[in-house]
Amino acid sequence: MRSTITLFAFGLGLLATPALAAVSGKAPAVLASAVDEVILPGYRAFDDRTGRLEEAMKALCTDPSAEAEAAAREAFADTLKAWGPVEIIRSGPALEKNRFERVLYHPDRKGIALKQIQAILSKKDESATAVETLSGKSVGVQGLGALEFVLYGKGHETLQAEKASHRCRYGAAIAGNLHAIAGEFVAAWQAPGGIATSWKTPGPQNPAFRTEEEAVVELLGIMVHGAEMVRDQRIRAFAGEKDAKANPKQAIFWRSGNTWTMIGADIDGLIGFWKKAGMEDLLADDQRSVGTSIAFVMKAMARTARSVSPDIELALSEPEERARIDFLMLNGRDLITRLSDDYGRALGLGAGFSFSDGD
Amino acid sequence: MSGATPLFDRRQFLKASGAAFLAGLSPAGARAALSADALFASAYRGEDGRFGIATLTERGELVDRALLPDRAHGLAYSPATDRLVAFARRPGTYMMALSRRGLAEPVVVTAAEGRHFYGHGCFSPDGRLLYACENDFDARRGVIGVYDATDGFRRKGEFSSFGVGPHDLSISDDGRLLIVANGGIETHPDFGRTKLNLDRMEPSLALIGATDGRLVEKHGLPAHLSHLSTRHIDTDGKGRIWFACQYEGARDDRPPLAGSFAPGEEIRFLALPEDVTEGLALYVGAIAVNRSEGLVGLASPKGGFAVTVDMDSGRVVDRRRLASAAGIAPAPGGFALSSYDGHFRDKKLALTFDQHIAALSTRHL
Repeated sequence: MRSTITLFAFGLGLLATPALAAVSGKAPAVLASAVDEVILPGYRAFDDRTGRLEEAMKALCTDPSAEAEAAAREAFADTLKAWGPVEIIRSGPALEKNRFERVLYHPDRKGIALKQIQAILSKKDESATAVETLSGKSVGVQGLGALEFVLYGKGHETLQAEKASHRCRYGAAIAGNLHAIAGEFVAAWQAPGGIATSWKTPGPQNPAFRTEEEAVVELLGIMVHGAEMVRDQRIRAFAGEKDAKANPKQAIFWRSGNTWTMIGADIDGLIGFWKKAGMEDLLADDQRSVGTSIAFVMKAMARTARSVSPDIELALSEPEERARIDFLMLNGRDLITRLSDDYGRALGLGAGFSFSDGD
Repeated sequence: MSGATPLFDRRQFLKASGAAFLAGLSPAGARAALSADALFASAYRGEDGRFGIATLTERGELVDRALLPDRAHGLAYSPATDRLVAFARRPGTYMMALSRRGLAEPVVVTAAEGRHFYGHGCFSPDGRLLYACENDFDARRGVIGVYDATDGFRRKGEFSSFGVGPHDLSISDDGRLLIVANGGIETHPDFGRTKLNLDRMEPSLALIGATDGRLVEKHGLPAHLSHLSTRHIDTDGKGRIWFACQYEGARDDRPPLAGSFAPGEEIRFLALPEDVTEGLALYVGAIAVNRSEGLVGLASPKGGFAVTVDMDSGRVVDRRRLASAAGIAPAPGGFALSSYDGHFRDKKLALTFDQHIAALSTRHL
């Protein structure tokens, strides 16, 4: 039978797939750094902070005081700072057993999780005060969002006023649950022959990546999707585009004033990946300016995010504050384009990353 | 965020787009169209970053193009009415209908409240109804939106897709059965394109009554293939349904990637040679049937690979490498193939083609 795909006059049929030829040879060091310098230390830090959070919550329950409550709140903010850099890793163990949603269920647009949390508190549901039983409940009641309501939501005064209150023990169980999940992340990423090995040694028998190029695409995907999350899900979702109706109560952690703590930590995560994994090193010498621009935009975003008022209603209504939010959305869009199109193309993805993110 | 939030000013856009389609072809485009044996359409992104839909000849010559409000994915074409509809890519909220002959104004339809499009749909054989794959995202269920193409694409109602993540949709030649590829992957616009249930996927192929929406039959996959997302379909001249899959499991697994079934039968997977399975990189992005030549074509952008299979024997009769191989459609002599890099058959254009090609004048090839 004659050739059934009447294709290319210039003989494409003879060519091997040239995708990402640019990264050949440079990828192993970047992948090893991504695991050893970014991912594993990131999860270990989250493990450490959730451990401290659990201790702080238990201390608050045992010996309630204004100081103990302040310490718990500080441990909560520290936990968010540690979660930001790893929450952008939507790969491997984060996609299993609902771990991602169990740590942070957001957004809760229709207030479903909030109602469940309020029901636990009003009914004094004892099964929510032990990690073992809490971990089997709805993902919306066992993570950071639920703990924020315990610490800052209506009725939080109980925490200082009453020893071993139900509310406090529920909060301690949430912290314990987060610590347990953090431990699972660390265990999975440091297991011999596990996902870390897959990342570092792509090959035909590898369950994650067949080639170095596939692993690099995953790494770039973390960056692009992380930047999209910051702009579209974390900022635009509550701020809206210019002139669109804003919804301050859709901002993540608005109750505790930690909206920009979280967003700043997410951007820190992107910067960490970029710098510590050495993603810039994958660029050819004559393409280095692509990397310089990306680093510059991320740095400007991190700085600006931390300068916006934590009072979200004010941040949306005050023109100077609003201008900072618009700056973040504009630069967020720019960052996505630079990563997906400029960097993706420089690595050999002809149409850029996002376009090749198939369906 | 509402799924129905318009992403653009509809009136302003309509004023600026569609014009190319309606104002008649350029002299070069008209020459190309007149001398063509076959015409195709594909969604694209232009060099200026804007999105559109292009019509091309079997030689890859550009006939015409029109702007779209945002990125589109799949297309539905009705030979009966000469209407072409482009569907927004998941989780997009628009679809746009055009006519090549200028018989009707272009129409932009915004997804219903609480719904978004998945990127595919099909017309009834008489072209009077349009069916679209949609996500009822808060209820986490797939639906098929039913639109009246004779009344400005008014949404008449919806059917259940009897699964999660209905991606591709086709219809039997007699118009009685809708054929749905439920990819089994849950997504929600609040989370962008993130796949939310990779550890509990439920892929299936469903046959649904086209007039009453009742479930006629449903084919799930065995437990060991639960990560095999059934994503794209086409039908042959005997009523057999051909489907292609994308695998979300371990990279070193070797699952079957395509298969077929006739209504009333169990599904059968194609036994592809190892080098073909390898070449498809666990990801078939598009499938097409060439009815007159009895062939099935599969294309994989991830593998940079396309393969042609004889549908009767299951024998592979051609394999090709093409970086970022995207769309595939029946064409004289086999299949027309496009790429993200702008290849369309013999030509390389300054366009980035999306993953699907619609055959406009060769539907029953």
